[in-house]
Amino acid sequence: MQKRMKVILKAEGLCKTFKLSQKQQKLQNTKQKTITAVDNLSFEAYESEIYGLLGPNGAGKTTALRMLATLIKPDKGDAFIDGLSIKTEPEKVRAKIGFLTSELKLEDFFTPNYLYDFFAKIHHIDQNIAEARKRELFSKFGIDEFAEVKVANLSTGMKQKTSLVISIVHDPNIIIFDEPTNGLDVLTARVVTDFLTELKAQGKTIIVSTHIFSLVEKLCDRAGIIIDGKMIVCDTIENLTADKPLEDIFFDIYAKTAEEKEGGLR
Amino acid sequence: MKNILTIMSKEFARFFGDRRMIMMTIMPAILIYAIYSFMGPAMHSAFAPDADHTPRIYAVNAPESIGQSIEQYIQTRVIGINESGIEEAKEKINSKQADLLMIFPIGFDDAALAYDVHTADSPAPNITIYYNSTEPNSQNAFRVALHLLDAYESSLANKFDINRNIENNGDMASTEDFMANIVASMLPMMLLIFLYSGCMGLALESITGEKERGTLATLLVSPLKRRELAIGKILSLAVLSFLAGAVTAAATILSLPNLMGSGGEAGDLFDANITEIYNITDYALLAFVILSVLLLLVAMISIVSAFSKTVKEAGQAAAPLMILVMVAGISGMFGTGQPDTVYFMLPLYGSVQSMGGIFSREYSSLNVIIACLFNLLYAGLGGFVLTKMFNSEKVMFSR
Repeated sequence: MQKRMKVILKAEGLCKTFKLSQKQQKLQNTKQKTITAVDNLSFEAYESEIYGLLGPNGAGKTTALRMLATLIKPDKGDAFIDGLSIKTEPEKVRAKIGFLTSELKLEDFFTPNYLYDFFAKIHHIDQNIAEARKRELFSKFGIDEFAEVKVANLSTGMKQKTSLVISIVHDPNIIIFDEPTNGLDVLTARVVTDFLTELKAQGKTIIVSTHIFSLVEKLCDRAGIIIDGKMIVCDTIENLTADKPLEDIFFDIYAKTAEEKEGGLR
Repeated sequence: MKNILTIMSKEFARFFGDRRMIMMTIMPAILIYAIYSFMGPAMHSAFAPDADHTPRIYAVNAPESIGQSIEQYIQTRVIGINESGIEEAKEKINSKQADLLMIFPIGFDDAALAYDVHTADSPAPNITIYYNSTEPNSQNAFRVALHLLDAYESSLANKFDINRNIENNGDMASTEDFMANIVASMLPMMLLIFLYSGCMGLALESITGEKERGTLATLLVSPLKRRELAIGKILSLAVLSFLAGAVTAAATILSLPNLMGSGGEAGDLFDANITEIYNITDYALLAFVILSVLLLLVAMISIVSAFSKTVKEAGQAAAPLMILVMVAGISGMFGTGQPDTVYFMLPLYGSVQSMGGIFSREYSSLNVIIACLFNLLYAGLGGFVLTKMFNSEKVMFSR
């Protein structure tokens, strides 16, 4: 059935290395001048599915998503979002996607209301449509209660909700969320995950990165496990969890990778 | 274009909506006005003699002629004392109860008249004057005494005069010219520094601040073009810096008469009608220079701000830029005539020379326009560099 689904996001051999400062080299006890954050990463995401990138901290999930969102450029490889290259057409890609990550902050000085309007203008959304969407989204996330409070005075949950709404101000078809429930209480986290399911029902494609197994099992159609920047497995949740829960699968894979690494070092 | 306006309106909303930021921008202006207005009168009252004061002048063996002219000149009677009273008089001057003590040799008039510098084998008759330089009234009495004695000495052997009964002692400079000269040497540097300092705080906040807080990244994942972001930032910063610079400049100009002491010579200078000094072309060219150099300054500071990781680092990185601005500004104070056209192409220096030229009313319009066009060219280059920087993940996201 999936064969018939349209590929909307295609990553092909994405690579990204970062320079290590001398201080950092000392700290990690290594002579390597660079660190490979993402290593030849390829995967596909289909239209109207939720794809999960699962991995421990530092596995390269965020770096991969930052490349997809055109915030940073891959050293090698490319990715195509709705047919547009992240390397050669980043501006067009940006108009197609909604990106949410903790690194992107909202200006403390402004209110959710002002920021929503500002980003709607940047995305050239028709004012009436933007207003209607604002009413809907603000009421769904309860933002209307603090719509005129400066971001500086909002709680973490309120800020996250506002960031989320602003990241999809232009109603994008592809939504990339980096650890969307991080730091949220169960109630707010639930609002967010329910919303993701709702977006999927609307036919949108959602890429989420997380290290929470239960979230992937519950939410995602397919998932890829990344360790040390490499894609180790990529399959449907059904196939992945056929024998064991995802958590056990992950630990098996992790142990195996660690062993191989050690073997390689010897 | 629409995006540029959206960015600008956000920058304005940020600035005008923040009372703290407005206060921080106009605070220097208020301080300058308050300090100059307070300092001026305070300095004058500290160093100016008291107009109502009747000087107390003691003299030993004073010839009648000199005593009379002093009395005429400062409306006070010279108190004649004996040599025995000298110590007491000195004591009084020391304790500021008296202003001056003049000791003449006996028969001073005759001795001075008989003295011939070519034939004399002894030194000329000597007058000893005691005064207290920390007491303005005493200092003033001393000055008057010197002046009168000088006049007396020249009257004894009058061979020729200079500028007798000539208005203004022969100085043909009009008040306007004099004013223009002062303005030409000082104002370009002051204007440049006002604009720079106005821009400094704003750019650091708007570019490095946004970068440090991660709000710039939010803009960078929007479909906004980097070029639009750079232009929007530069233009809004230019408008805000212009306002900030204008407020500071206005405060300085308004408080200058207070600093120089109104009513005095300097006060008269500032009463000279400025509109009569400069014509409409001067003003138009000046506005062009100011606006174009402002864009250049903003572009320069924006680049430094974008390079820096934190606002603190940007503050340090901008210090050498401030020195450059100062050096360029000071060059205007020592300008000897108008330099060659090619010098007007230099960033900052060309603008200072242009402003100096306009203020002193000695300039070639071509040179000024060249300076402005080159400012715009450099600002454009700056905008291009800033665009590249917004595009560079190394500059935007390296930690």
